[in-house]
Amino acid sequence: MMKICIACGMPMSQAADFPDGDESKDYCVYCARPDGMMQSYPEKLEGTVAFLMRTQGFDEKAAREVAVRTLAQLPAWKAVRSE
Amino acid sequence: MKKTMRQMQKEQTKERLLETACQLFSKQGILNTRVADVAQAAGVSHGTIFLHFETQERLVTEVVERYCGGMAARLHELTCSCGDVREFLSAHLEGIMEFEPFYTRLVIENRFLPLGARDAWITVQSAISYHFSQMVEREISLVRTDVPLSVLFNTWMGLIHYYLENGDLFAPGESVIHRYKNVLCGNYLKMITTERMKHDAKSI
Ligand SMILES: [Zn+2]
Repeated sequence: MMKICIACGMPMSQAADFPDGDESKDYCVYCARPDGMMQSYPEKLEGTVAFLMRTQGFDEKAAREVAVRTLAQLPAWKAVRSE
Repeated sequence: MKKTMRQMQKEQTKERLLETACQLFSKQGILNTRVADVAQAAGVSHGTIFLHFETQERLVTEVVERYCGGMAARLHELTCSCGDVREFLSAHLEGIMEFEPFYTRLVIENRFLPLGARDAWITVQSAISYHFSQMVEREISLVRTDVPLSVLFNTWMGLIHYYLENGDLFAPGESVIHRYKNVLCGNYLKMITTERMKHDAKSI
């Protein structure tokens, strides 16, 4: 069973997808800070908005709305959702 | 935790309902399918299906979320190990072809679906845009740099989706991707790569 990053939803199929190649982690290499810890919600949100704008050219407001809704579906941010 | 027989049966029924719904959605359209149609096709009573999906919106959202999750994972698997541009583009099309009927319905109807279903569809595209951006970065010497990444990506998606959306005109009664795979791949490649690569492509 392929692991799914708890913080961004990316499927993690190979060691390179994990922080420092550590396959016991539940979050992916893109959701890790340089020290290996998982990014905070504000960091991940800004990163996701920037990603949607850069790769798919979405409008900033629309990208933010999509990012807020899709992150809220992920295990790492369930708590944020109920705030 | 050990599941009771009853729980297991309930899950099996739900699984069957999701599959049946996906088949009907692919065949006759997502919003054109009523909860009652799914019940009938799966051979369960109204009461049973409403235990699982109270509304059509719930049914649509769950089916689309489930199958979009599967598509994203499969496309990730197919495209993450691709070396060059051509390999990436053709792996992407191969992936779409595996679930072409349902994918085509999503191309046509995604704007009209409940928000949760639409988000699941956007997530599939994000999985691809991510690998697309990685591929462009790797192939920086071959891919045009005077066009923004998002336009390169959207041109590719727009092309595929236009053919799928109008499949009745491009490939009536058959797989659009199967028929146009090389046309789409080869010509898009010519459009996004620099002169040097075009020259190489001509000699293939
Ligand atoms: Zn992640």
